[in-house]
Amino acid sequence: MTMREEHRRALESFLSTKAEAREVRLVDARLLSGGAIQENWLLTAVVSGGPHEGVLECVLRSDAASGVSVSHDRAQEFALLREAFRAGVTVPEPLWLGDGSVLGRAFFVMRKARGTAAGHRIVKDLGLGGDREALTERLGAELARLHAIRPPMEALSFLPVPALSPALRGVKEFQSFLDGHHTAFPALEWGIRWLERHAPRTPELVLTHRDFRTGNYMLDEAGLTAVLDWEFAAWSDPLEDLGWFCARCWRFGQFDKEAGGIGSREALARGYARVSGRTLDWEAVRYWEVFAHARWAVIALQQGERHVSGREPSLELALTAHVVPELELELLSMTGGRNA
Amino acid sequence: MREQPDGAALLAIAREVLLRELLPGLPEDKVYAARMIANAMSIAERQLRAGEEPQREERGALVVLLQREGGLAELNHELAARIRQGGFDGNREAWSLLWDSTLQRVRESAPKALPASDRMG
Repeated sequence: MTMREEHRRALESFLSTKAEAREVRLVDARLLSGGAIQENWLLTAVVSGGPHEGVLECVLRSDAASGVSVSHDRAQEFALLREAFRAGVTVPEPLWLGDGSVLGRAFFVMRKARGTAAGHRIVKDLGLGGDREALTERLGAELARLHAIRPPMEALSFLPVPALSPALRGVKEFQSFLDGHHTAFPALEWGIRWLERHAPRTPELVLTHRDFRTGNYMLDEAGLTAVLDWEFAAWSDPLEDLGWFCARCWRFGQFDKEAGGIGSREALARGYARVSGRTLDWEAVRYWEVFAHARWAVIALQQGERHVSGREPSLELALTAHVVPELELELLSMTGGRNA
Repeated sequence: MREQPDGAALLAIAREVLLRELLPGLPEDKVYAARMIANAMSIAERQLRAGEEPQREERGALVVLLQREGGLAELNHELAARIRQGGFDGNREAWSLLWDSTLQRVRESAPKALPASDRMG
């Protein structure tokens, strides 16, 4: 798909103002695949004059024309990216935020990151990401940098501060989804009840990514180039991110590599401790691994329902519903017997 | 009497043609869709082969656990509600029932995810 001519011109003018350039010429604009809620355009611009002089490769992220957004809006996502960037997390450098007057809907522009994010490829292709233990350690360090961001923070005032503990907030969210759903999922309900009974206190809230997993960061041959997809970020328990990253359901079949299907827990903990000074308690992380399976099951049901309801017929969404049984089986396995 | 081959067998052979004959000739950006189609066909095939028996068994087990009659969906709703209220906390019978019925759904939806001991079943 190509960009409409008037949008192209509006964007060139926007970019030249923001980049303090004499002129910006868009030489390429292509729609990247994926994203029912957002659209991502890969832009190649030739910038004449100003601090960005030269060829600028960037990604424009906007709401999709038909998308109904349940996650953060683009301005909020831009603010999150900026705070993460300032905290030293490896993210695509956020450049400029644009309002609806330019393209008819809000968007922002970030510098393009190199490499690939595809989870299935990353866990198998060892030519990517450099030494895997070093990479895993690096990801632990990235999380620790992110978790150094604490509320209150003026730029992130749109993020609600939970009244309940983050664990119990999750339990309530899962239950209220299931209450409105046509079919009962007693095994999932069992897992959620376990989460309620074992919910930890969260002594201190931090900024969490909440989708920090293999598949959501980019690698080139040498290592990490960017942590992506900040739309679910929230104030939460730092261990939520560690549990999500290590959960068995996010290892892409490489079950013996317990940190994201790419490395060891020890390496992840090393990186986390190096930056935060905090030693990870794996028994406490385990709670959030159980939580991860329940949360992913609820999301998979919601995605499946978009197809089942007839609103959005899609084979991909239909198949996502069939991930639920294996997530429930893992939930039962983690919360049965002596763990019940 | 229905014709042979039946629906499950037709799905199996159609999937073979998709994966062996069509897939190698597809452009790279269509491979994912073809694999999704093959996956959907195999789930449908396994559901057809399993038939209604597993659902009958699940309902029977629910009747025993909950000590009441009812349809499968209704009994599952009741089990879910009682679990949430804490009525089955740590209960081995409830856990075993959930394990068996979930295992059956995994057999149909994602047999690769079965625990090694159940893979042949």
